[in-house]
Amino acid sequence: MIEKILKRELIQLNVEAMDWSEGIKKAAYPLEKNGYITKNYINAILDSVNKYGPYFVITPHVALSHAPSSTGAIKLAMGLCILKNPLKFNSKDNDPVKYIFTLSSPDSSSHLDAMKDLVVLLSDSKFYKELDNAKTVDEVLRIIGGRKYDKSISSM
Amino acid sequence: MIKVLVACRAGVGSSLMLKIKLNEVIAENDYPITVEHSSLDELEGFDGPIVVTLSDVAAELKDRGIRKEIVGINNILDKNEIKNKIQIALKNIE
Repeated sequence: MIEKILKRELIQLNVEAMDWSEGIKKAAYPLEKNGYITKNYINAILDSVNKYGPYFVITPHVALSHAPSSTGAIKLAMGLCILKNPLKFNSKDNDPVKYIFTLSSPDSSSHLDAMKDLVVLLSDSKFYKELDNAKTVDEVLRIIGGRKYDKSISSM
Repeated sequence: MIKVLVACRAGVGSSLMLKIKLNEVIAENDYPITVEHSSLDELEGFDGPIVVTLSDVAAELKDRGIRKEIVGINNILDKNEIKNKIQIALKNIE
């Protein structure tokens, strides 16, 4: 499922950013450009981090950048932005961030299967090594699409 | 069964992933727990004893004086961390 929403045009490698806010903007930009989110959605993400801190830096080196659906999530999609230089998000436990996944989910259920797959990916230490070795978007697509996802997770 | 609420800011991303991992931990350890999931806005309507969330949210809920056992997770994919903290929470509500 995740390979269906993590589309080619939403994947970026070797992205340079000065700080977390530029990182979030650059990571989200392809989703805005392709009509999956509004500009307001990006602002909502930045506002939330300013207000609440880095609440979506969920595991070491990984940010799941997102805001409430109502702020401008138009269509289900996920972006992946791999940073050239990892950034400080002021997360006590999980800094620095190297991988920014930007999530657009227009409701509270359509992304469930993709999130299960994302858990499988992010729980696998080999996944990060493979990403770090990837030189092209095609390689990243192969890494993500060529995986076996555990359909037995019946936790939802 | 003990009701546990997994909550995060938006209720769409982090809490969902945390819920998936928490359910794995519950299944592996046979904990008598059922899991619900929502955004923080729905916290008031929750009638169970334990709330599981990300650590920064947990600190804020404690500051707000929420009268639940609040569990804050740093790395939501770390099953050992989740297990250890759930065990403590289950003890605390006994």
